[in-house]
Amino acid sequence: MSEHNNIEDLADLYDNAPCGYLSLSSDGHIVKVNRTLADWLQHPPTALVDRPIHDILSFGGKIAYETHLAPILLMHGSVGEIALDLLDTEQTKIPVIANAAECRAKTGELLFTRLTLFKAADRLTFERSLIEAKVKAEQRALVERKAIEIRDQFVAVLGHDLRNPLAAVAAGTRMLTNSGHLDARDQMIVHEMDASLKRANKLIDDVLDLARGKLGGGFALNYKKNQDLRPVIEQVVTEILVVADDREIIIQLDVGDPVDCDPDRIAQLVSNLLANAVRHGAPDQSIVLAAHKTPKELIISVTNGGEPIPANAIGKLFEPFARGKALNSNQGLGLGLFIVDEIAKAHGGRMIVTSKKAETKFTFQMPLKKRAG
Amino acid sequence: MPLKRNNVVVSGQGDQAMIFAHGFGCDQHMWTEVARAFESDFRVILFDHVGAGASDLTSYDDQKYASLDGYASDVVEIGQELGLHGAVFVGHSVSSIIGALASIQAPEMFSSLVMVGPSPRYIDDNNYDGGFSEAQIEELLDFLAENHLGWSAAMGPAIMGNPEKPELGEALTKSFCATDPAIAREFARATFFSDNRADLPKISARTLVMQCKNDIIAPEYVGEYVHAHVPNSEYVLLDATGHCPNLSAPAKVIEAIRAFV
Repeated sequence: MSEHNNIEDLADLYDNAPCGYLSLSSDGHIVKVNRTLADWLQHPPTALVDRPIHDILSFGGKIAYETHLAPILLMHGSVGEIALDLLDTEQTKIPVIANAAECRAKTGELLFTRLTLFKAADRLTFERSLIEAKVKAEQRALVERKAIEIRDQFVAVLGHDLRNPLAAVAAGTRMLTNSGHLDARDQMIVHEMDASLKRANKLIDDVLDLARGKLGGGFALNYKKNQDLRPVIEQVVTEILVVADDREIIIQLDVGDPVDCDPDRIAQLVSNLLANAVRHGAPDQSIVLAAHKTPKELIISVTNGGEPIPANAIGKLFEPFARGKALNSNQGLGLGLFIVDEIAKAHGGRMIVTSKKAETKFTFQMPLKKRAG
Repeated sequence: MPLKRNNVVVSGQGDQAMIFAHGFGCDQHMWTEVARAFESDFRVILFDHVGAGASDLTSYDDQKYASLDGYASDVVEIGQELGLHGAVFVGHSVSSIIGALASIQAPEMFSSLVMVGPSPRYIDDNNYDGGFSEAQIEELLDFLAENHLGWSAAMGPAIMGNPEKPELGEALTKSFCATDPAIAREFARATFFSDNRADLPKISARTLVMQCKNDIIAPEYVGEYVHAHVPNSEYVLLDATGHCPNLSAPAKVIEAIRAFV
């Protein structure tokens, strides 16, 4: 082969390139088109010259061209990767991807707009399937969200409605206790019934808190100014000791001036932490409840001895329905720490847990000044 | 809130304000060159409709923006925020109707209205010739639903500066005329299915209808229809072709606006 034959024939490259070439005049008329494109459109190239670009665009493509592409071209001089539909003589759509660039004279006058076109039928099919998948996923997410909402509402209603029969049973045990006719065995049975009622009510409280949180209400706080936390915390300890009278709780309270907080929620937080310490701590070791203030923070901690929490469980402690490995009837739903964490967050604070051989410690830290928002 | 939502940009100086509104398919940058010419005499205001340009996409509400009234109430809110009174509203394409609706909602806000390529209704109806059939508009919506390439913000980096107009190059946001494809489709639906013929006689602002030749979106006879039905209106046929004279023939647009105001 001679060297001459290796030189690319540019005229042939233009005409028979594996893509369409199209040049438009400044007023959008076709001035030149290559054979490849003319063949796609089933026209002789000469039949296309002098016709407006609109003649070979689908209606949608035409409007997109006028409202979107033409302005971009006028502003930027070029635009890439644009989807258009061409129309052949039988009005069949040919999806293409187009790049376009203006060719201007030195004076700035627009001479031509050049377009390079690639067929994109497969690509369009793929894009269609992506769009379909997206629409389907969005619909499915919507259905699932609705189902979850209904379930949470159901839980909230169920929890609420369970309170009434429980209140009736509690009234009954109270009447029995007050009747004065109970022998020692009867009193023990009624006492156990009361303890079970308390547990049942606690479970309902937890479930309602969870459902409310999930329903978007979040942990609504009833913020009160200047709350003295000492009586609040002491009351919680008294209640815990009623059901755990064999345990020792050492109280180190140094809370000083009153703080702004939701006292009922703080009581709930402390109660949950103490109940956990009673449940999971070594029975022969004291539980330490400490509270103090730094210039900026209120810090409350509950420490118990016994087996440490496994390292792999620590990260999930504050998730709802997380439970330790030991399952027994005394255990709750695993919502206690989740609620503790939510109360901490609602106060602008946080929970910290450390668990070593000697002791496990849950610490609540909250800023004394409520953060904005 | 409305100023951030609609990416409102204020420049220029003057007692009277001139607010420019872009049409379907683009954003405020299509007015850059024309608007600049008025900065010495007017307080110039540019903005993006929600869903376009650098507007706050999270403000997009498909119910509100299902009709042009939603867009018009945004214009009124911007006007209230900026304390506009007796301002000039310049709207391109569908925004000329949005401006008309805003001026009907708040007549003191706009004393003059410039409508560039307006159409009160795109679809033919009995004796009315809008230039489009309903089937064609459905085809457009199908096209927009399926052809996302070229609309999304991702195309930004592919756009290169124009060496002939360096001032337009780098300064421009990369998202020029980019929009969420789904929102573009809904804007197209609100635009091309709109029928605001009954609103034209309610326009009290003095109005200039600016029309181009060979405009496939808003043909000359539609511009003439608007002129015939807006009480206090003037009509000018620009010596320019296509739908975007603010880009293809900015000098002629500037001249026509100047003569009018």
